[in-house]
Amino acid sequence: MKNKIIAAGLAALMAASVATGCGSSGSGSDGGASGGSGAQEISVCLASEPATLDPALNSAVDGATLCIHLFSGLAKWDQDANGTLTLVPDLATELPEGVQNADGTVTYTYTLRDGAKWSDGKDVTAKDFEFAWNRAASPALAADYGYMLEVVKGYDTMWEEDDSGNLKNPDAKLEVYAKDDKTLEVTLNNDVAYWNELLAFPSYFPVREDIVSNDSWATDPSTYVCNGPYKMESWDHNSVITLSKNENYVDADKVTMNTINFYLSDDSNNMLTNFENGSWQLIDDVPTNEMASLKEKYPDEYKVTGQLGTYYVCWNVNQDLLPAGSTLTGADKLKAEAEIRRAFALIIDRNYIVDSIAQGGQVPASSFVAMGLTDADGTQQFYQNAGSSSDYDGYYNVSADAYQSNWNSAIETLKKYYTYDEASGKFTDIPSMTYLYNTNEGHKAIAENIQGIFSGIGANMALENQEWATFLETRKNGDFTVARNGWLADFNDPISFLDMWTTSSGNNDVQFGKGANADVAAYSIDCSDLGVDLKVENGTWADTYDVLLTKIKACTDDNTRYGLMHKAEDMLMETGCLTPIYYYTDIFMLSKNVSGFYSNPLGYKYFMYCTIQ
Amino acid sequence: MNTKTLMYIVKRLLLAILTVWLVITITFFVMHAVPGGPFVGEKAVTETVRKAMEAKYGLDKPVISQYFTYLSDIVTKFDFGPSLKQRGRSVVSIIFDGMKTSSMIGIVAAFIALIFGVVLGSVAALRRNKVIDRVIMVITTAFVSMPSFIMGTLLLTVFAVKLNLLPANGAAQNGLILPIVTLSLYPMAYITRLTRSSMLDVLGQDYIRTAKAKGVSRTKIIFGHALKNSLIPVITYFGPMLAYIVTGSLVVEQIFAVPGIGRAFVNSITGRDYPLVMGTTIILAVLIVVMNLVGDIMYKIVDPRITLE
Repeated sequence: MKNKIIAAGLAALMAASVATGCGSSGSGSDGGASGGSGAQEISVCLASEPATLDPALNSAVDGATLCIHLFSGLAKWDQDANGTLTLVPDLATELPEGVQNADGTVTYTYTLRDGAKWSDGKDVTAKDFEFAWNRAASPALAADYGYMLEVVKGYDTMWEEDDSGNLKNPDAKLEVYAKDDKTLEVTLNNDVAYWNELLAFPSYFPVREDIVSNDSWATDPSTYVCNGPYKMESWDHNSVITLSKNENYVDADKVTMNTINFYLSDDSNNMLTNFENGSWQLIDDVPTNEMASLKEKYPDEYKVTGQLGTYYVCWNVNQDLLPAGSTLTGADKLKAEAEIRRAFALIIDRNYIVDSIAQGGQVPASSFVAMGLTDADGTQQFYQNAGSSSDYDGYYNVSADAYQSNWNSAIETLKKYYTYDEASGKFTDIPSMTYLYNTNEGHKAIAENIQGIFSGIGANMALENQEWATFLETRKNGDFTVARNGWLADFNDPISFLDMWTTSSGNNDVQFGKGANADVAAYSIDCSDLGVDLKVENGTWADTYDVLLTKIKACTDDNTRYGLMHKAEDMLMETGCLTPIYYYTDIFMLSKNVSGFYSNPLGYKYFMYCTIQ
Repeated sequence: MNTKTLMYIVKRLLLAILTVWLVITITFFVMHAVPGGPFVGEKAVTETVRKAMEAKYGLDKPVISQYFTYLSDIVTKFDFGPSLKQRGRSVVSIIFDGMKTSSMIGIVAAFIALIFGVVLGSVAALRRNKVIDRVIMVITTAFVSMPSFIMGTLLLTVFAVKLNLLPANGAAQNGLILPIVTLSLYPMAYITRLTRSSMLDVLGQDYIRTAKAKGVSRTKIIFGHALKNSLIPVITYFGPMLAYIVTGSLVVEQIFAVPGIGRAFVNSITGRDYPLVMGTTIILAVLIVVMNLVGDIMYKIVDPRITLE
């Protein structure tokens, strides 16, 4: 059931993009080994040197692409004969449904396939999974993506702190057990809709205790023992990583590509040069200013696929927007500012930004939860059901035709709060704002566009750019009025866009429930129509949104759960603090000599079933 | 070598150590004063994870105590710490990997610059105001005035894209040819001009006229007398040239995707990889200090009139 939901939703997204471009010549299910036309070798460039190739520590998309070639977990993404992506068992014989326990927890039991071996010839056992999952989740490893295992029972106990901030249970373990060499049993806190997808995520890949006890194991081919389609042949740091086919892999006969060279560079001009002179068959980045001409020059090789992410502008909820002398305070003030921000969101010309600035096939966004994430019924996209209008998808109409009427209604709204000078068509008392972005030509161009539009109605917005790490800290601390922002989902479930806005979340850049307005009771939520016991009139962010999120996480019924998630996004959009600009796309160039390539919506690229003519 | 020279070298060495220590200290405190940290990203890690990471790398302690730990680890154990970003790798191994490539490029570029510069400079001086002199001067003027990022991009476009003769990627086979050429053109052109003017100066000296009058052969005059003396200014340029090559490699390594120390340096700063920032800064500082010292000593060797003190 869950499989279907995810797969069906992705079908639309993927079929339209990757599959059409690359043909569907075999997902490997019947692809003969290596083929007759000599040694199969492909050279690609995704990014610069990966921070780590330890699957538990990795938190980057390029690192994940390497990990899926080097490791094999219980499940994997595969492309079927129609070019549709599906989750299929990998090392597990099958992906069974969970068994509901009396306390609401859910237990899954997996059987490992026969013949699963590590690259050094030893058997892969259930014990390796038990060890790897405990390690990935542990405070001792402190992995960026350790929280991917928070759905497993025992995770919360593991991370529980006493009053002085020390771990309460340093010896706590996850509820995952190797019943014998072949049987793995895991208990989740509750039914998790995206569980099978998690099983295909690098954090859930097995590693062997004797191998990873060496801290540097993942930096050197001689100590890198893995169990996936490939093994690490060589790693010339900052230069190239070469993977060669792992004959010990349980499905080695289906792997068609013998050698993959991952060149390490983050210079998109350099990548393009190497692509154009034929040295590299895939490059994952292209220079922004060349996009338009490349699209024309290489119509068959320039690829744009969907990505689960949104480029947006965030507003600090604690920054004053009302004109000097306004008498509104408390909840009234917050609500007025929310209305003002929503009006500003309407005057941004998303179509211009997408067509003339970003130029990468991005889609104008009308919701925060990105395009590509599916709703409960599995056929529709989440964003299509967002908002209350039946005339358009999302929270406002982003079609080019609607721009003028959006503009007009925004001006009407702003007139309620600011003085409008009919002669000049400008407001005269909108407080000055500063737009913060990280140093980058693309972000700058978008900032300048928004600045121009705002100044057209009399809102003065200064631009401030900061270097990346500084920018992150400034934004996280809430030292801004308006800031550029972006989010890419870790998995195909709207929760990954929603739980970042709880009061205590480290990604709560907007500062919901924090600072000056922490105690202002300006938010309401009513979930009684979904049969959920949560109804608050005028509560604080902690009373409403935080509680709603705990309800979502504990909810086991798909329809109710998705209904609650829509309510959560409604709340976020109501504040006006999130102004979506566009949904991200993944742009890359793939040589037309390559067939059998596919990628998943998280941006992972699969080369194992490729062949080169 | 007399005691005076020896004393001079000892003094310079002590000064060099002081310089490097100052560089370490200033970099360390400035680096920690810059906002942002190694464990921030578009996706923030939880507070608990961040605390655990900081404790693991000792970043939870006051900066001043981190500073003393760092110094004592270097002095007593030659330990530059682990990289915070490339988990599992030590700073020493990253620098070692980067230096293998960078030093190769740097040394070859320096040799090319020296050999071609001196030869072209001498030719230009000996054929003064002839066509060859004019051609050499025009070309070197162009090379001297063109910054390395333009030169690099130009060479990349011509040889890697248009003609497709050489790879654009420094990691590929023959990939280091273009970066080496890019890096050597400016110092080569500079040395050519230096050699030319100095050679012309020397050729006008009395002792050259004397030698000519005595009937010494032209070859002997040029190689036995003129060349050696006209190289003195070139030698003084040795230190600045190496400094140029070291800093120029930051740009050139980026253009050609060369896996060298320059790239490691730039990336360590953007990523706030504190130990790697320190490690690369120290190695670059030591290089420049040592090269300047070597330049000064060589100066003395070619020109005995100079006393070092």
